[in-house]
Amino acid sequence: MSGRRLVVLAASAVLLAIFLLSEPPRVLARRAAFLAASASRPLPDRRLGGSGTAFDRPFFQFVEGARRLLPAGVEAVSLETSRGADEELYLASYQLAPLPVVRSPRPIPPRSAALTYGVSPPAGWRVVARWGGGALSVPP
Amino acid sequence: MNGLAAGLTSTAAVCAGAIAIGWAVAGALVPRGSRTERLAWGFAAGFAIVAASASLAFSVGLEPGWLPFLLLAFPAVAVARLVKLRPPRQSTFDERKPSRRPSVVLLLLLAAGVAIYALRALTEPMWANDYVAIWGLKGKTFFFERGMPERLFQWSALSFSHPEYPLGLPLLYAGLAFLAGRWDDHAMALVFPLLQVATLLLLFGWLRRRGASRPLALGAAALLAHFEPLYRGFTTGMAEVPLSFAFLLLGTAFCDRLDRTDRGASRRLALAAVLCASTKNEGLFLVAAALVLAALFAFARRGVGARAAALLALPAAVIVAAHRVVRGSLPLRDFDFTLLTRPAELVPRVAEALSAAVAETGPRTWIAAAALAVLLDAGKRSPAGTRLLVLAACGFAAYLFLPALAVAAPRWLVQTALARTVSALAPLVAAGVAMRLVPVFASGSPRPSAVSDESTGSERGPAASVASRARRTPWTRAS
Repeated sequence: MSGRRLVVLAASAVLLAIFLLSEPPRVLARRAAFLAASASRPLPDRRLGGSGTAFDRPFFQFVEGARRLLPAGVEAVSLETSRGADEELYLASYQLAPLPVVRSPRPIPPRSAALTYGVSPPAGWRVVARWGGGALSVPP
Repeated sequence: MNGLAAGLTSTAAVCAGAIAIGWAVAGALVPRGSRTERLAWGFAAGFAIVAASASLAFSVGLEPGWLPFLLLAFPAVAVARLVKLRPPRQSTFDERKPSRRPSVVLLLLLAAGVAIYALRALTEPMWANDYVAIWGLKGKTFFFERGMPERLFQWSALSFSHPEYPLGLPLLYAGLAFLAGRWDDHAMALVFPLLQVATLLLLFGWLRRRGASRPLALGAAALLAHFEPLYRGFTTGMAEVPLSFAFLLLGTAFCDRLDRTDRGASRRLALAAVLCASTKNEGLFLVAAALVLAALFAFARRGVGARAAALLALPAAVIVAAHRVVRGSLPLRDFDFTLLTRPAELVPRVAEALSAAVAETGPRTWIAAAALAVLLDAGKRSPAGTRLLVLAACGFAAYLFLPALAVAAPRWLVQTALARTVSALAPLVAAGVAMRLVPVFASGSPRPSAVSDESTGSERGPAASVASRARRTPWTRAS
């Protein structure tokens, strides 16, 4: 084998080793175990256990619960949280799509529901349900 | 059957149907004889038809689903059969038979890379911030609204979803969900390993057609399959994996068009320009970069580059115009382009971006860069390889420079996006490096004599002989 080929093979081996080390085998094994354990569960449960909700799993449970309880005729959702974090807005927007989710609009537009998490519901609004540190409310 | 298995089954069936249609269409794109490459273009054409079917349904008021898909698929297949490419009279493959053992090992390595990425992609529903806030949000909204609501593009409260981004990927999500009959963002992650497979098929098939030995083509594909910065759980759902596929489609078709390898090169280039421009704004940038390169060729050889430029510009312009019609003119809100007129402010920002890029680069990446440099140095001059690497360098330079224009500060953009976005250039780099290595791994006696390349000087080895044979054979001349 020519020297040039050996150099190419050696450099390729270095690259392959670096790529393989990017995610250790034990992480892959954990992935496989997680997949096997969660595959038969409903989709929201699989998302709940995943990386996208890791920043605050109770928040996801709250949003998913609200999605199921939203009254008919609601055209938008107002979201107000104590943290005011972007991840909360993104996750709620995605989970409640196609309903648009707007962070703390003032005044809250008509035909909206309000999701409050870690803060009080809008004054005078009717609370539909409270759980997990949050509340779903609708105009009186 | 319930849970993920049910969703995967229906998503896999839909994808298989789309790819089968795409395979038929690809008969008009890829010369017969290159089955892996045809299959890769089949993935591209099939997924493009799925995305276009959602767009068609929205624009003419049809019920989204199989009807608009078939309304597009049947004419596409019929036209493809009419203009099907004939097989080459002479094989363009390096068909000498090396030992099978390295190929088997490399094939196993490649399969392991695909399996590992499939596991990463399917561990959980697609979850990255950019999927949830941008690509998935739009796709899910399109699916449940059965249309493209204006608020996505007009409401400032929803500006976090980047209304200025192209709509190809959200339309693909919506189209697949319409065909599968439900929105399942876990099963839909299957699209990403499939796009990886398509990229690897294209890389392997194109390298083989351009004269690479089987072990070299397989080795390049196997290395790319394990490229974790691109093929990871985090990028699943975002635009980088589809964009990297579109980049490779563009780069290979661009080289083929300039080398006039076959009649299908022009068609492939036009489709690749459409796919790049529909996937991400950087795709449009790379089309523009290819256009400039093609224009440079036009100076060197009248006609060749000019036509390639037209094939790039017109399809991309159609996609840009279609986006304008749907959502109006939207600025790139993350960037302040007025900085280009204020060098005194721009220069320190460029320095900040570059120093942040260096600071963010870990030792493994430096070692990988050194290994890549060794591979480049070990290779030999190849015009096709040079073009691919120049295209990749254009993309890399843009990704390095853009943070200087970032409204949210250069360092922030470098830290949050640079590594991920640059990783999409990997297939182009792999193809470019492998082309340089073709003569190094050519086995046995030298291939037929190489000819002078159209404008970049001489080329040696099998890759050049492919181009030269194509030029000498009238029916393979590009229209």
